[in-house]
Amino acid sequence: MAEMDLNRFETLVTAYGAAPDRWPDDERAAAQAFARADPRAAALLAEADAIDALLFAHRVAEPSRTLRAMVIEGAPTKRRLTGRARMWWTGLGIALAGASGMLAGSAATAALEPITANVLMYSHDDVPALDYSAEENAL
Amino acid sequence: MSADDPDGELVRRVGEGDVHAAEALVARKLPRMTALAHRLLGDRAEAEDVVQELFLRVWKSASSWRPGAAKFDTWMHRVAFNLCTDRLRKRREVPLPETWDAPDPAPLADAEITAEQQSDAVGRALASLAPRQREAIVLTYYQELPNREAAALMGIGVDALESLLARGRRALKARLEGTDG
Repeated sequence: MAEMDLNRFETLVTAYGAAPDRWPDDERAAAQAFARADPRAAALLAEADAIDALLFAHRVAEPSRTLRAMVIEGAPTKRRLTGRARMWWTGLGIALAGASGMLAGSAATAALEPITANVLMYSHDDVPALDYSAEENAL
Repeated sequence: MSADDPDGELVRRVGEGDVHAAEALVARKLPRMTALAHRLLGDRAEAEDVVQELFLRVWKSASSWRPGAAKFDTWMHRVAFNLCTDRLRKRREVPLPETWDAPDPAPLADAEITAEQQSDAVGRALASLAPRQREAIVLTYYQELPNREAAALMGIGVDALESLLARGRRALKARLEGTDG
């Protein structure tokens, strides 16, 4: 059990208030034991409890139905995900077709002009790599 | 998905395009995140803008969410907290008019005061606190984050958090009782 004295107990209740469930996990048991054993604890708890009551008098309005609807509107759906995947594959297809065409063209060029073809053969490096790491790192 | 993240399974289903899971996640998180933004910004309309931006990021990230050191709720708090502090920083960059004065919370001495009036007075007192004291109180009391999580979100140590909490609570009490001069 963590050590507890009047000084630490006062720091705890002036920071976290009178409710033990808000006290740090690793000090809760020791602070509760101190509160039971030391008569000076009661006054500190009463003062902290009065401030807790003030704090919890504050209410904020529930989110409106309009806000709820607007938020849900943007949620991913199976249809949107399928559409996005289809667009992605279409884009990849176009990119690969373009790259194949360039390769075929470069092969034809190589047959005619071997020196220039050595440069053109590497143009397929422009096809974007399938790299998800940036998206995952964003989390 | 992480077994000890209570939102993990729901987020996985959201990432698969499950609309019911998205609705459940909104039901679970929207009130909590709206309250966070509202209390940090002190402005409901601005809080709603932040929450919409937050959920856009949630929807975008759900399919690639991987359990790591942080729980999903912690990640949401971090995004919402950063969105709010960005807005507060921009507010500070705009010079306040010369006639501007901090709102003056009415003392709560009157026993007949209604719950609504009391809530408004506490809201004004919260808004008049130093920003870091307000952040510490909002994260610890209203959002009920463990002290280490709240401190990490604010980029400070637990000792500094405790100091901000104690000073914030004292200032709040003094303002509500009209004893802060």
